[in-house]
Formats: sequence, C-alpha cells, structure tokens
Amino acid sequence: MYKRLLTSLMLLAVFGVAALAQQTAPPKTHLKVGDKAPDFTLRATDGKTYKLSDFKGQKNVVLAIYVLAFTGG
Amino acid sequence: MSVDSIPANREFAKQIGITFPVLSDFKRTVVKDYGVFNEEQGFGNRATFLIDKEGIIRHIDEGNVAIDPTTVVEACNVLQRKKASQ
Repeated sequence: MYKRLLTSLMLLAVFGVAALAQQTAPPKTHLKVGDKAPDFTLRATDGKTYKLSDFKGQKNVVLAIYVLAFTGG
Repeated sequence: MSVDSIPANREFAKQIGITFPVLSDFKRTVVKDYGVFNEEQGFGNRATFLIDKEGIIRHIDEGNVAIDPTTVVEACNVLQRKKASQ
C-alpha cells in the first residue's frame, strides 16, 4: 500500500516537472534579431485595418502576441 | 495580437481596460509567419517582437519571459536613444 502510494507520488512529481518544463521552455521562432519582420495586414478591435509596412519610416512597432483572450498574461 | 476573433478581443480588451487597438490573426497566418504558431493547441504562443522603423526586428521575447514587458521597454528605450543621438 505504502509502496504504491510512493510510486504514485513519484510519478506525479515526474509529470509535474515535465509539465513545468513544457510551460517554461520558450517556443523557438525561426526569426532572429536583425531579420526583416514579415509584413502583415490585420483588422483590429477599433474596426480599422493595420498594415505593418505602413509604419515604415514612421514608427517603431511592438508586436505583442498573447495566447488567448480571457486568459492571464 | 492574438488568434481570437475581433468580438472576443473587443470584449477581452474591455474587461481588462485596454484602450489601444488589439489585432486579430483569426486565420493564423501571422503567427505562422512569425514562427510562434502552436499546432497542437491552434493558437499563437506568447511572444513580443520589437520592429524598428525600417521593418527590422530589434528584440524578441518568447514564452513566459514575454509576460514581463521590462526587456522590450528597455529595447525601445535603446532605439529611442539611438534616434536622439543621430
């Protein structure tokens, strides 16, 4: 009984560490600093359409990608 | 930006008090172009790209480090300082 409990706990610990590793391991983009940013045209919540290349020579752009709406972070 | 629909992002922005426009990449083309598409889950992984006026990527944060904007803000400041010194 005790042995089984211990095995379960150990398994749980292993899965826990694996889940944590998966969560913290950054996904690797093929893009690098110094690369040209791929152009895009997207609609926004204000009803307007934004094209990255329209900002060329005008403004620096921060593109922040978040996982999903209604989630933290 | 996220892969959510515009109405979902609009409601989300309202809930958390965002006033700037939020982009929707509903077709997942941009997350794929930027190499952050999570095929298993169908969404874009968390990432922040700083793109300068010439369209060149100057800073990248990926994964959980992208939650904290400190490094990208510092990279923005570096760009601004460069501009000021030119």
